[in-house]
Amino acid sequence: MKQLSSILLWPINSSQLLAECLLFNYRKVFLLLFFIMTLGLAWQAAQIRPDASFVKMIPAEHPYVENYIRYQDDLSGLGNSIRVVVAAKQGDVFTREFQSTLKDVTDELFFIPGVDRSALKSIWTPNVRWTEVTEEGFVGGPVIPPKYDGSDESLEQVRKNILRSGQVGILVGNDFRSAMVQVPLFDKDPKTGEKLNYKEFSQLIERLVRDKYSSENVSIHITGFAKVVGDLIDGAVQVALFFAIAFIVTMVLLYLYSGSVMGTIIPLLCSLVAVIWQLGILNLLGYGIDPYSMLVPFLVFAIAVSHGVQIVNTITLESATTGAGKLQAAKHAFKTIYIPGLTALISDGIGFMTLMVIEIEVIQDLAVAASLGVAVIILTNLMLLPLLMSYVGVGRHAIAKAKRGIEKQHSRWHLLTVFTQPKGAAIAVVVALGLALWGGYASKGLQIGDLDAGAPELRPNSRYNLDNEFITSNYSTSSDVFVVMVSTPAEYCSRYETLATVDRFQFYMRDIKGVQSSISLVDVSERVTAGLNEGSLKWRSIIRNQYVINASLSYVPAGLMNSDCSLLPVIIFLDDHKAETLKGVTAAVERFAAEYQTESLKFNMAAGKAGFEAATNEVIEKAQYEMLIWVYAVVSFLCLLTFRSIRTVICIITPLALTSVLCQALMAKLGIGVKVATLPVIALGVGIGVDYGIYIYSKLQMYLDQGHSLTKAYLETLQSTGKSVAFTGFTLAIGVVLWTFSPIKFQADMGVLLTFMFIWNMLGALVLLPAIACLLRKGGSADVAK
Amino acid sequence: MQRIGSSFLILLTLLLLTPWAKAERLEQIALQQSSPSTALLLTIEQAGDRLVAAGEQGIVIFSNDDGAIWQQANVPASVLITGLHFFDNQKGWAVGHDGIVLATTDGGANWTRQLDGVVINQLRVGAIKEEIARFNELTVKDELALEELEFLLDDAELASEEGPSTPLLDLLFLDSQHGYALGAYGLFLETRDGGNSWAYIGHKLPNPDGFHLNKIFQTREGTLIIIGEAGLMLSSVDLGNTWSRINVPYEGSLFSIAEADELYVMGLRGTLLQVLSGEYLLGSDGSPAVGWRTIQLDITSTINDSALVDGQLYLVGQDGVLLRQNGKRFEPFSKRGLRSYSAITSSGSYLVLVGEGGVSRIALNEGGK
Repeated sequence: MKQLSSILLWPINSSQLLAECLLFNYRKVFLLLFFIMTLGLAWQAAQIRPDASFVKMIPAEHPYVENYIRYQDDLSGLGNSIRVVVAAKQGDVFTREFQSTLKDVTDELFFIPGVDRSALKSIWTPNVRWTEVTEEGFVGGPVIPPKYDGSDESLEQVRKNILRSGQVGILVGNDFRSAMVQVPLFDKDPKTGEKLNYKEFSQLIERLVRDKYSSENVSIHITGFAKVVGDLIDGAVQVALFFAIAFIVTMVLLYLYSGSVMGTIIPLLCSLVAVIWQLGILNLLGYGIDPYSMLVPFLVFAIAVSHGVQIVNTITLESATTGAGKLQAAKHAFKTIYIPGLTALISDGIGFMTLMVIEIEVIQDLAVAASLGVAVIILTNLMLLPLLMSYVGVGRHAIAKAKRGIEKQHSRWHLLTVFTQPKGAAIAVVVALGLALWGGYASKGLQIGDLDAGAPELRPNSRYNLDNEFITSNYSTSSDVFVVMVSTPAEYCSRYETLATVDRFQFYMRDIKGVQSSISLVDVSERVTAGLNEGSLKWRSIIRNQYVINASLSYVPAGLMNSDCSLLPVIIFLDDHKAETLKGVTAAVERFAAEYQTESLKFNMAAGKAGFEAATNEVIEKAQYEMLIWVYAVVSFLCLLTFRSIRTVICIITPLALTSVLCQALMAKLGIGVKVATLPVIALGVGIGVDYGIYIYSKLQMYLDQGHSLTKAYLETLQSTGKSVAFTGFTLAIGVVLWTFSPIKFQADMGVLLTFMFIWNMLGALVLLPAIACLLRKGGSADVAK
Repeated sequence: MQRIGSSFLILLTLLLLTPWAKAERLEQIALQQSSPSTALLLTIEQAGDRLVAAGEQGIVIFSNDDGAIWQQANVPASVLITGLHFFDNQKGWAVGHDGIVLATTDGGANWTRQLDGVVINQLRVGAIKEEIARFNELTVKDELALEELEFLLDDAELASEEGPSTPLLDLLFLDSQHGYALGAYGLFLETRDGGNSWAYIGHKLPNPDGFHLNKIFQTREGTLIIIGEAGLMLSSVDLGNTWSRINVPYEGSLFSIAEADELYVMGLRGTLLQVLSGEYLLGSDGSPAVGWRTIQLDITSTINDSALVDGQLYLVGQDGVLLRQNGKRFEPFSKRGLRSYSAITSSGSYLVLVGEGGVSRIALNEGGK
């Protein structure tokens, strides 16, 4: 074991010597190098683009998504669209003013770039028609009569046409007090091939529709993926403000802590350089910033500062105790911090890399961005920082302060040494055990997926979600759409046998909890068959006669079958997208398919927003334990390599495990589900949380090796690094606690959980680590001899 | 023997459909649903104190408390049920798509199949062949009628090839044994043994164009009346032995007929016709002489059904129409529905309506708001 680890650690150990020699012998060369790199990467970082892609947020390898991608081209109109609702604040839609506004909104939307104009729908578009059978035959027309003039008679005509067009609950609200414009979008402009710019599109819609047409009589409600993304990008601007606040607060704390101007400016500067490098390299690698990876700069900054603090602290202490010069103190700090710092950062980075097991691109991007950021910190804060400090020093004021600190021999650290005594240790471990048990019990309520209605990315009371709620409660078609793609051989999609089975399928699904309604080719055939028989409801059935069916399908709305008639999507509208609902739906589809699927009739899941969420949930449910195992395995292995003792690993890992359990309990209590946004939190929390343990234990080990008793060694440890560990915890927490105020819900969730994990990990490292060390050492005193 | 033959035919059809056998809705037991009373329902009838309604996918539901709470019946088929009829509070029948006829002897809780379209097609071919044979045996041959029958035979054979695709739309039992069922394209069936065996008699109606037969009705005086597509109205004063055509001053389809103070016939586009008192009986020469009055309604939605409650007629129809008779006029009653109504009955102090949105219950005292 010892041999193995020394082989594995050889690069780290030897790189320290090499780096020390090179770095401090050619200081100016390196400074210039860093300066040029920073300039170049800053230029790159400035060009980084917000990037939110639909496909990235769903698990591309999941069979549901594979099915969707296979049939994607045939599912046009089911993908990306927004819905704009014009609502009357008083009265109903049957007024001249309302109809005029609705017409203007429809026209306005028609001309917005990115809109699929041929598929745009409102009662004012000619593709929305009513049909009726009269004594003379089939008649029909646009819902707005050609002779419409806004008079009471023509409004009554509109009312009648709406009723017989079957658009109540679809394009007109169930209470007749609002009307909808359905606006399908092109993902890529068919002419220019350019990707839809969600940010611009969303802003255009805001300006040209909401701002322009909202009045005291009329309110505008907008939903759809494009709007969510637009709102997310807008929310991101506020996040930049949080960064500024976090920066300032960190600066103040850092100054109060170090008492040194340079000891404040240099770590902050180096940490900023780390962020710039990270963003610059991301851009060079072709990555954008999405709402998830947007948070990585915060983490990088916080981690960088926390490591910077360790170095500045060491320099100050060195200067205070030995009176070493600037260069000497910096060199010493570099030597002391390099190995634990490198180990900690590498375990951070590898901890983040374990996120790659989750097959969702945004999370993998997040893993890349975070790992990259940590790698960059090795250069900026473990190397650049001591280099800069070797020129400027921490200043006399700080050194004097540190001297006073040492002389005082703070008694408050004595409190914590209680946990190095068997009694205190036993109490701490018992309490921890109790907490772990409680946490395990409480986390039973933990759910997979998003729990809130509407767009879970945004807050429940955000304008988007209020709009969504309005539409859900006034229309029969919710935004939680689950699409089952029924595939047949070519030309078989409209066969009686196919339609009859799909008819039964829809009827079966209707009874599943959470299903509102569904629509497919079957509904078209049934409605038109009834229409061809004078609208009689007694004919609202699939007729067992292919000629009748064919006649009923002479006009099929877009998206209900593909061109060679081998695919008919069944669009199922759900009440919500809770994991439970989605599980119920997928299980029901599977049950039905098991019984009714044949060679020539297959039920493929799933497209639609809810379909992708179902797939995402499945991936996350599977990945969550896999990821935990990986992250703990990797972190434990690294600790084992560094400290070459299983006991040490237990001492360092146990507090982290307790925090993980408590974090899950907290999620269950706060109603935060395990989802794309919260899954990385555990890996981030463990990856970063291990830093405390590594720093504390490496110091402790040093004092133990010097022959001190555990209590004495721990006190020494606390006096030299306790303060900086506590400070690190708070710096990290400050970096993330502000996210709690983000308008983006998942950022807020991440903020709460990360803050919790950073603080608990710190407490765990300060309390539980010595306690476990004490109990383990007592059990095996052979280790003490070493 | 015929029943064995027909079972064999169903089996054969099923075998031919093998890859799709699972999709055979005539054979599929109706799915039990948690809220069957919100499904598409087409018809509602009273079976003693009980209400029974039926509709899509073989759904039959019944309620013992004026339509407040509903239970779903066991039905051995999953087709759209279009008509119900109860002889008493136990014995009843239902008809629907694919030519299905179902029967119950426990007030609508459990149903068994009596007939389906496969057998109907067979009966139809057999009946017309028999008729041709009878005509051929006549000493004086009616060539024109024979030719007509040959055409009907061609049609019937073609229909057999297409399978059981013709829907039944309504039925009526005159007593517990003697009943009629009727449907699309002039389909008309008679039973004299409570539905155990049926005879095809569509060719005996004066309906040469094979118009859809929408409803069969018996007046208080015992006259049978059939109404159908394109202003078709037939009547029989001898319980269905002979039928004659009544001229209606309207060419659209008729869907409902009711006898209140007068006889009313209703149909497409808000059509409401009143038959003037006593004049709808057949003249002695067999040609019906009827006086009509057209009543103007404020609506242009099709009237699907009507019910007589406390001497007043209530009409329901497409687009949520619900009208109440007030003397000579018909006025909107209660709030207009958002979805089409298909049928109406009354129970206790409620009107109970069914249609696109399932069951709706409206208190009679809710008034003509």
